[in-house]
Amino acid sequence: MGKAGSGELVQGTLPLLILRTLATGPNHGFAIARRIQQVSNEVLKVEEGSLYPALHRLEVQGWIDSEWRATENNRNAKYYRLTRSGRKQLEREAARWNAIADAIATVLREI
Amino acid sequence: MSAWRTLLHRLGYLPRQRRFDRQLEAELQFHIESRTDELEQQGYARADARARALAEFGPRTRIAEDTRAAWQFRWLEDVLADVSYAVCAFGRRPAFALTAIGCLALGIGANALIFSLVNAAFLRPLPYPNADRIAMVRFTPPSQPDQKLGTNSGGYFFIREHSRVFERMGVLRITGFSVAVGDSDAAAREWLQGGWASPGLTDVFGVQPVIGRWFREDDTEMGVVISHGVWQRLFGGRRDALGETLRLDQWRAVVIGVAPPDYQTLSPDVDLWIQQPDQDLARALRSPNRLFNIFGRLRPGVTIEQAQADLRKLEEPLGMELPMHAGWGLTIDSLHEVYLGYLRQPVLVLQGAVFLLLLIACANVAGLLLAQAVARQKELGLRAALGSSRNRIVRQLLTENALLSCVAGVLGIALAWVGLRTLVSTGLSAYRDLQNVTLDWTVLVFAMLVSLATALVFGILPALHLSRLDVVEVVRDTGRTTTAGPARVRGAFVVAQVGLALVLLMATGLMTRSLLRLNAVDTGLTAERLIALQIPMPRALYRNTMGNTPGGGLLVQFDSRFSDMTERLRERFAAVPGVESVAASTPPPLGGAARRVLFRKDSSLTVADDREPWSAEWYPVSADYFETVKIPLVRGRAFTRLDARETRPVAIINATLAARYWANENPVGRMLQTDVLDDPPREIVGVVGDVRQDRYQSAPVPQLYTPRTQLPYRMDMQMSLELLVTTFIVRASGDPLALIAPLRAAVRDIDPTISVSSARTVEEYAAAQLQELSQYAAVLGLFGAISVALAVIGILGVMAHSVGQRANEIAIRRALGAQSLNVLGLVLRHGLTMIAVGLGVGLVASLMVMPVIRSFLWGVTITDPLTLALVVLGLAAVALVACYLPARRALKVAPIAALRGD
Repeated sequence: MGKAGSGELVQGTLPLLILRTLATGPNHGFAIARRIQQVSNEVLKVEEGSLYPALHRLEVQGWIDSEWRATENNRNAKYYRLTRSGRKQLEREAARWNAIADAIATVLREI
Repeated sequence: MSAWRTLLHRLGYLPRQRRFDRQLEAELQFHIESRTDELEQQGYARADARARALAEFGPRTRIAEDTRAAWQFRWLEDVLADVSYAVCAFGRRPAFALTAIGCLALGIGANALIFSLVNAAFLRPLPYPNADRIAMVRFTPPSQPDQKLGTNSGGYFFIREHSRVFERMGVLRITGFSVAVGDSDAAAREWLQGGWASPGLTDVFGVQPVIGRWFREDDTEMGVVISHGVWQRLFGGRRDALGETLRLDQWRAVVIGVAPPDYQTLSPDVDLWIQQPDQDLARALRSPNRLFNIFGRLRPGVTIEQAQADLRKLEEPLGMELPMHAGWGLTIDSLHEVYLGYLRQPVLVLQGAVFLLLLIACANVAGLLLAQAVARQKELGLRAALGSSRNRIVRQLLTENALLSCVAGVLGIALAWVGLRTLVSTGLSAYRDLQNVTLDWTVLVFAMLVSLATALVFGILPALHLSRLDVVEVVRDTGRTTTAGPARVRGAFVVAQVGLALVLLMATGLMTRSLLRLNAVDTGLTAERLIALQIPMPRALYRNTMGNTPGGGLLVQFDSRFSDMTERLRERFAAVPGVESVAASTPPPLGGAARRVLFRKDSSLTVADDREPWSAEWYPVSADYFETVKIPLVRGRAFTRLDARETRPVAIINATLAARYWANENPVGRMLQTDVLDDPPREIVGVVGDVRQDRYQSAPVPQLYTPRTQLPYRMDMQMSLELLVTTFIVRASGDPLALIAPLRAAVRDIDPTISVSSARTVEEYAAAQLQELSQYAAVLGLFGAISVALAVIGILGVMAHSVGQRANEIAIRRALGAQSLNVLGLVLRHGLTMIAVGLGVGLVASLMVMPVIRSFLWGVTITDPLTLALVVLGLAAVALVACYLPARRALKVAPIAALRGD
């Protein structure tokens, strides 16, 4: 685990990260968590306790949907897939996040 | 919308919960398996890897729980929890819940009931297309703007020609027919009301017959359209009734159509319609009788007010053209107003009364809730201390109130339904337009809105009070929380309840007093065992002369057959076993208004127009009339069989007429003459007692009797139609109702074409006059009783609560040596103040409200001291008892209680 961050996710960012991860293709919960961890160089750690409620909330909202299919080592897994409205939501959320991040960065720089 | 999708997804989850749980389990299991695989690759043994993966994963049930929550309706489940909590809470305090529900159910039920009447009377449109454009034009006499009468055909033609506001106009003349089905002369007849309808009248109403057609102006044969009711009754609803022949008096008419079930022209009793073409109407151009009722359909966009203004302009020219209308006003009313306007005052008074009732009920419930709020401070404080948010607690309380109100609402609707059934079957016969009142959805919506509004208004108050509580204070507290605020509010509620109950009781009391006074007034005759048979004699008894009376009416000519027929019937009735005596008259004693005639006294007989003539109620009666009806003879003699057409014309007057026009003189042997056409000067042969034909008359009026045998042969047709409806008054030696069947059979014996149009006892007529008032008093009395019961509940609640709250204080006082009386006084003082203020408020309110019911009162003023005293004392007594019972509990408080504390 990196020392740069505590691994705690900033509140409200998990859905965004999930949507972004699924933008590369359908995947199951475990792989999504792993991928976020890898891509963030182990900075962002996704707790199972947040991951599954978040996934299901996104599904209820219709931004992702799911199907059960076999993995390469022949286990049955629930695969999530980004829906069309989910893709739009991703764009919106990403834009919003970038705006906030820019704003925070500006504040940090200027003051 | 995403919110919709979310809702749909969640709804989709509801039926698949079990499968969902299995899948969620599998999903989490897969996660653990994957992690185990990962760890195994890093070199752990399979078993170790699994244990480690499991440990890392965290609390599995909570994760499952949180995940599931994404799919659930959080609020719905909260509400369910609140409701089940509320049910438990009520279960712990059944007395509170039952009282509150009972009070509210009564209030809501009574309101739903009366609102059904309001709805039926005012809100439901009449069953005609664009019914709001149908109106009636009526004439008001110069000095009596409240009276609205019909017109002769001249008035109708004039308005039809000169008014611009109507699209179509028509007139209706209502009359009765002796009706038989089929063409046989011997077929049994029955008396039905019919309407002569001018062309155009059917267009005004704009309703098509359910089968067949309306008449056409070019119809050559007499066609009749029958009501739906008659179609069902006489023809069993058969479609081949069209083309059947009906005998209407001397005419034959062919059934050409059947009107829709709710088709009603002016009176719901009109059961058939016949065409009266314009050339027929023209014969009554200058008739003095106002027999025609004008209906009109306003042009689109024309309001009643505009039409009224237009008609105003016609009044003067109309009076110039037809002098009989000179000085008369023209009034237009919507059909709705004509049909249902008479219900407005009674129904609105009831609605007002019942609304007061609901207020009282709400005040009770609010009081109960406030008391509950105080009693539950601990419980709720504890919940708050354990982390319930205030919103959550307020929501909980509102849920409880909503639950209360909903249960009460459902109960109230049930009560209203029962009440309506009873009212319709027993009480509402005087209001025939309310016969088919139902609880429709408007009423149900109204009832539910009322109950929900009650829950909100009276739930919020205690809830806010509670949520203001200081949690720490309450939990630590030993029961000495300050409750002055709610106690004051509850006191105000009791004041209001006592006041409102007083208002309702005053109204009931005044009406009951009026009834008692009316019943105490002697009608002047002995109604027991009298039965009145109304028999409309055939029109064939007169000949239409085609001429006019000097007044302009249609002149008809009788001969001796009318009185012969009357005598034959009288003799036949007298022979029926069980009949004591028989007489004939018009109208029935105590049933309907008598015709008024003008008369001149002896001195002015020779000098016409010497002075203004006097007016009297006129009764053409047969021999034995006074003996049969038992009107006492004051002086002179009664009519006998010897008073015939050929003998000297005679008259009998009542005591009032005698006293007014022959004060200090003996009228017997003096002369008078009526303004009836061809009526000769008559010698007064007797004076009889006064009869109150109209029981509401504040004083007896002059009455004049003449022998039926001496009726003039030439007569105005309208008067002849009234006189032909002969009332046979039969005094039975036993049960008068048992005589009806044999009397009807006797009529058939004499002439099968004659029908009995009504057979009622004179006692029924007497009661019918007071029916409206007594029903009204009964309904208000019921409401008054309910309001007293509610006020008692309110007082009991407040007093019991106040004793409970002050138990500590009382115990200390007792410990310090206070006597029972002192303690009682201490507790009662509060209650007595409330009651006294309540009575005062109620008195003032009564004086303000009572003028509304003034028109129902007879012989009492709205400040009738006896009623006032009885009502105030009675209510005060009941309230005192309600006060005393809980106060007595204060005496049982032991001094030691103060020391023991909570």
